[in-house]
Amino acid sequence: MPYHEFEVSKCIPERKKHAVVKGPGETLTEALPAGYLNTIPGSVSERGCAYCGAKHVIGQPMKDVIHLSHGPVGCTYDTWQTKRYLSDNDNFQLKYTFASDMKEKHVVFGAEKMLKQNILEAFKAFPDIKRMSIYQTCASALIGDDINAVAQEVMEEMPEVDIFVCNSPGFRGPSQSGGHHTICIAWMKDKVGTVEPEITSDYVINYVGEYNIQGDQEVMQDFFKRMGIQILSTFTGNGSYDDLRGMHRAHLNVLECARSSEYLCNELRVKYGIPRLDIDGFGFGPLSDSLRKVGLFFGIEERAEEIIAEETARWKPELDWYRERLMGKKVCLWPGGSKLWHWAKVIQEEMGVKVVSVYTKFGHQGDMEKGIARADEDTLAIDDPNELETLEAMYKLKPDVIFTGKRPGEYAKKIRVPYLNAHGYHNGPYKGYEGWVRFARDIYNAIYSPVHQLALVDISKDEIATDKSFTTRRMLSDARLPEGVRNAPGLRQYTGKFDVMPGLRNKTKADYPYMQDKPTKLADAA
Amino acid sequence: MDENTKSDYAKQMLTYIMKHCLWQFHSRTWDRERQNREILTKTTELLCGLEETAVPEDRLDRCYWVDAVLLARNYRRLFPWLGELDNLEITELMQLVRERLDFQTITGSLNVELTDHQY
Repeated sequence: MPYHEFEVSKCIPERKKHAVVKGPGETLTEALPAGYLNTIPGSVSERGCAYCGAKHVIGQPMKDVIHLSHGPVGCTYDTWQTKRYLSDNDNFQLKYTFASDMKEKHVVFGAEKMLKQNILEAFKAFPDIKRMSIYQTCASALIGDDINAVAQEVMEEMPEVDIFVCNSPGFRGPSQSGGHHTICIAWMKDKVGTVEPEITSDYVINYVGEYNIQGDQEVMQDFFKRMGIQILSTFTGNGSYDDLRGMHRAHLNVLECARSSEYLCNELRVKYGIPRLDIDGFGFGPLSDSLRKVGLFFGIEERAEEIIAEETARWKPELDWYRERLMGKKVCLWPGGSKLWHWAKVIQEEMGVKVVSVYTKFGHQGDMEKGIARADEDTLAIDDPNELETLEAMYKLKPDVIFTGKRPGEYAKKIRVPYLNAHGYHNGPYKGYEGWVRFARDIYNAIYSPVHQLALVDISKDEIATDKSFTTRRMLSDARLPEGVRNAPGLRQYTGKFDVMPGLRNKTKADYPYMQDKPTKLADAA
Repeated sequence: MDENTKSDYAKQMLTYIMKHCLWQFHSRTWDRERQNREILTKTTELLCGLEETAVPEDRLDRCYWVDAVLLARNYRRLFPWLGELDNLEITELMQLVRERLDFQTITGSLNVELTDHQY
């Protein structure tokens, strides 16, 4: 096994199994790190807990729901939506976070009465919201509060409300991924099938594992609606609680982030016979193939081709402008889970960058299989890295930019490596054709930032140029380009709007001529 | 087609799957066996001349077929040598691809979660 041992982790020998470099001719049967194991004591992991994974990642993007944590206020504060999961109902779930605010006395005397009071107060404070998710935390789990019983009591007293209980305390699993698992299974068991949805199309999907980061879901929703496809529910970005209770009536589950929610698709397949189609929403090529596949499934591929042709003609010249300037730049692709494999191949193919390392904070070995398969040979693959390892990797690999989260991103900047937020994005959405150009623009802006160039200068020893008063990104990026490329006809920088969401949200029924008011075929025949 | 050529062709076809597809990486052994079998069988049929218009009625079957159609199209686009092979050669070649894919993703896989009994 081509394990990679970090110098800084020689004192934690168990870490050696968590990093590999796939050598020439080696396959996944020879190069795969350990994964989804408890973090080794002494290794300062970047992971979140299982409560965070259940609430912050999966539950809370649901938009028309009071999300209440039964635990100390810190648990809810630290999972308040900082990840830019937008919604089209004025971001209710981003604006408010709720906690029962457990304290020491509740640990001693119990907190069920206080929880019930909190539930009633929350519904009273927001009378238009009739749905609630309650998240167990370590504190409420350890004292044994019966949240389900309290929720049932409230639902009996207030028949107009519905409450979902997620028992995923922080210690339930090695990382946030344990929480993804728990909430998926709980939703399937407790809520799917409890509402009969209105079917309005011959083509009905659940869009699963999509969290509407800076509008990703709404970009993809626009494509599907242009094809005449009804999105019965989105799990869970911009998703509605009651829509998600009716998932069992979809004809197809279109799965984006398999890491967080393949469990749900697998269970829907077993229980309701709904097939699972894995797609890639990132990158021109993978997205086009994904739209084609959904179109093929429903026999409406020509509608997908219309979108592909229109969007490619509009945005490809802009993607290629950035590609010319990003060619050969070294990238560390260090996201949480699924972007490891969503991006590993396509950013190399379509943006010209070179991925020198992939890592996953909470991914399983299955994610590493996909990521390592898609990355090139000699790519350093790391599972659940600690801070010192990532620093060592950056010193060794000298990336031009890293894609990661805020915590490692900040210390990357300290050693003068620019970073882009792979979780919440910088200037997303990144899905869709325009989104992919926005991502390329963010990479370009990060790498060629004049301020970043200044940070690379050590004034204690480097010679300081005095004949230049300023530089721009364009001056930096184009200096190495041949004239024919620098002013290549047809290529251009991003020309889209600062905020793409109003354009999507202001569309009317007339923009979706294929959308139906009611189906013309029997549902099971679709 | 000699053995070296066959092996080289299979390698190219397998590399395409590993770099561009996701269907072979479902999370459990039984799913991977089913995915590999269904999708590569349908891909073989398409490469051997079955028309794309023969759309399966059953929606689970249709989902495998969708991935197979895209794979067959991309194979034809990327590997012009496929046009020079007869159906028997294509079938044998795809059988080798299947064996290698099964080895990489199932029988030789280092992924310890594949044998979990539940999702």
